[in-house]
Amino acid sequence: MEGLQITATLKSPVIVGSSAYMTLDGILGAVLFDQLQDIDGAHAAIPIKQTNGLFHASAVFIEAIDKGRTAFIAGLYPTHSLDPDLILKNKKGGLHRSFDSSLTNVMNTYRQITAPSAAWYVVGDADRIKTLLNRVEFIGKRRASGFGQVASWVIEPTDTDGLMGYEGEPMRPIPIEMFDGDKTLPIVDAAWRPAYWDLNNRTACYAPALLN
Amino acid sequence: MNTFDFFNQDFGRHLTEPTGNALADAQTALSMNHELLTGKASRLSSGWGIVRPGRSSLQLGVRCTGIEIVGNTVSRFQAFIADLQAWKNEPRIYLMFDKRPVPIANLFVTYDPRAVRICSAKGVETFDFTKPPNDDSGMVHRVIFKQMNGGK
Repeated sequence: MEGLQITATLKSPVIVGSSAYMTLDGILGAVLFDQLQDIDGAHAAIPIKQTNGLFHASAVFIEAIDKGRTAFIAGLYPTHSLDPDLILKNKKGGLHRSFDSSLTNVMNTYRQITAPSAAWYVVGDADRIKTLLNRVEFIGKRRASGFGQVASWVIEPTDTDGLMGYEGEPMRPIPIEMFDGDKTLPIVDAAWRPAYWDLNNRTACYAPALLN
Repeated sequence: MNTFDFFNQDFGRHLTEPTGNALADAQTALSMNHELLTGKASRLSSGWGIVRPGRSSLQLGVRCTGIEIVGNTVSRFQAFIADLQAWKNEPRIYLMFDKRPVPIANLFVTYDPRAVRICSAKGVETFDFTKPPNDDSGMVHRVIFKQMNGGK
């Protein structure tokens, strides 16, 4: 394991969730889960150094040249695909229905970031990371719509621990009891280990500023 | 303390019987019907709430003990401004209610006025209360600063 800077050259704007840090262990964990179909197995196989469950992998660093918003309209057709006998009935004995009408459109607005590249700092196995990242063609949200397309991945050795910058600032969410950097920074509520969508993994952390 | 343990200990348990499953209890508290002071029943579908250690507040008149019911005398932005200006270095959860329940994934604790999280059904707005809004700022940050400067 060695200190690495990983850079993705972007071909299209990227959409990052409003509370997401997009750490590299999360991206690699998702690739491994696609292969293994086992959450615990996928996380155990991430080729990045861990200390007490904390991956030495930074959040994404993106220097935006433009920020904007993009909206998608989704047409919802609420129908029951399950056997109605299996669904809990309401007090009148009928089925619960999510919508009054048979067709509803919803608009979801996202913040998009235009940047030439995205970068991460990690301590890990360069060859195994490269093998996994070669499978990643898109990053962020709305990947199926073409956002966050990656043209190439570059991995270079660098001096980093994947956790803190040179001034003691956190480069990823780090639980307050595991952080020994600049404690004058604000504490935030964040998931600190994969799976980042698992709400049980949220706790008080020192973390970099959100992109959005 | 985990986000949802804090939410349930100081807010959720006053609205619904705890089951030991923190996530499910928080979901229930935010989505079930509660008996109102008027005798009717309603979800937390309007107004605001602030979860504090030991003394949470709620605008909607829910019949419960352990939560201060404020009523319609204070708007959501007035409540958030007053609370942030009197910051006591204690965690908070700031809630804005709407017709749709707030998803539990949108529950975030605020630990510092430099990283305030406003939780609602639409999403989570994060801002630095110590700084004025800029071009990227969200609606809550803009309205709060406008009201602090005498606007409506």
